[in-house]
Amino acid sequence: MSEKPFEPKILGFFCNWCTYAGADLAGVSRLQYPANIRVIRVMCSGTVSPHHVLRAFQKGADGVLIGGCHIGDCHYLRGNYMTIKRITFLQELLKFTGFEPERLHLEWISAAEGPKLAQTVRDFTEKIRKMGPSRLKLAKQAA
Amino acid sequence: MDNIRAKVRNLLEEGKVEGYLGYKMVEGHPLPYLFTRENLEELDQAMVAPGNARYPLDKLLQILAVKNPDATFAIQVRGCDERGLNELYKWGQLDPEKVVLVGVACPQEQADYCECPGPWASVIDYGEKCEPVLKSQRVNRIDELPLDNSFQEWLGHFSRCIKCYGCRDVCPMCFCKECSLEHPDLMSTGKIPPDTIFQLVRAIHMAGRCIDCGLCEEACPADIPLRVLYKKANLLVKELFGYDTGSPTAGLSPWKFLGDEVTLEPKPM
Repeated sequence: MSEKPFEPKILGFFCNWCTYAGADLAGVSRLQYPANIRVIRVMCSGTVSPHHVLRAFQKGADGVLIGGCHIGDCHYLRGNYMTIKRITFLQELLKFTGFEPERLHLEWISAAEGPKLAQTVRDFTEKIRKMGPSRLKLAKQAA
Repeated sequence: MDNIRAKVRNLLEEGKVEGYLGYKMVEGHPLPYLFTRENLEELDQAMVAPGNARYPLDKLLQILAVKNPDATFAIQVRGCDERGLNELYKWGQLDPEKVVLVGVACPQEQADYCECPGPWASVIDYGEKCEPVLKSQRVNRIDELPLDNSFQEWLGHFSRCIKCYGCRDVCPMCFCKECSLEHPDLMSTGKIPPDTIFQLVRAIHMAGRCIDCGLCEEACPADIPLRVLYKKANLLVKELFGYDTGSPTAGLSPWKFLGDEVTLEPKPM
């Protein structure tokens, strides 16, 4: 039986005002990026609860990419101040429990940065592909 | 002990407090008890419970305060209980004007067992200050493990969980009316062990809030070392945001406000 090559599943939480618009720009500019990412549009990256991120990993995501406005550009002025606090903390906590923190990535991408969005998704997908399936997923399959 | 009884008797007789939340021996068990002016003679049985018979008095006080919003209560506090009160004041669950402390200092064995950095209350009516334990060996041990090993170790612990919610129900800091751990869209239902992330979600909620009383770990029927997880969560909050959980002078928890400036940066890919 031939095994299918590993295709990472990546969940994206993109902020409505910057990163999601950046993805739109990448789209209309016909920039190519892998289809491994499934994007959820949120009104602000600051609304993404660590619980949502953990839930994604539990449900079998191999990576989670969070995209928000650059600091100072937030539509709600300071929503992303909370994003960076939460994500940094969550990465450290994941590390403590032995789950690779690199699978969670935060990137500030503005509405004008279509090429940066495409590049970030490409780089992140490749990184996760190299890392292989998530430990949580493997543990769940073994159980 | 006489010290405490005399202090409480005074408070009750002078009408400064409506009641005193402490411990009393009931059929051989030290149990939480509300002493009132009507039954002053019971005060002779007021006691300091030994370390292995601790209860979430802070949580009981919250229930009392909701039922009697205008009343002032005295409460027996260890170092951890007082940290809990400070945190509850900040989160708007209790009014500091309506709480009188009856402080207890823990003995050295208790402090060593808890790896407690502050094993006494700001007012000491019983016991003597001992040496605090500033570094947790239990956290250090996990910190030094390779990622693979710590993952296997935690997975082993988490897979024993029977989802009894004991850790949450005993926790003096868990005051939410609705709990995301019970939300069917966020946590799978009808299976044991629960989702692996169950304890992690709780750890996130405990960051900057856990006062390290250790009741969760003692309540856990599966012996999951929850305390190690929450100790680490608090250490991270201290390292990343400089917030000292439970301190009366530390200001608000970093999760309670956005902040005026950003010092952190996203990690490079």
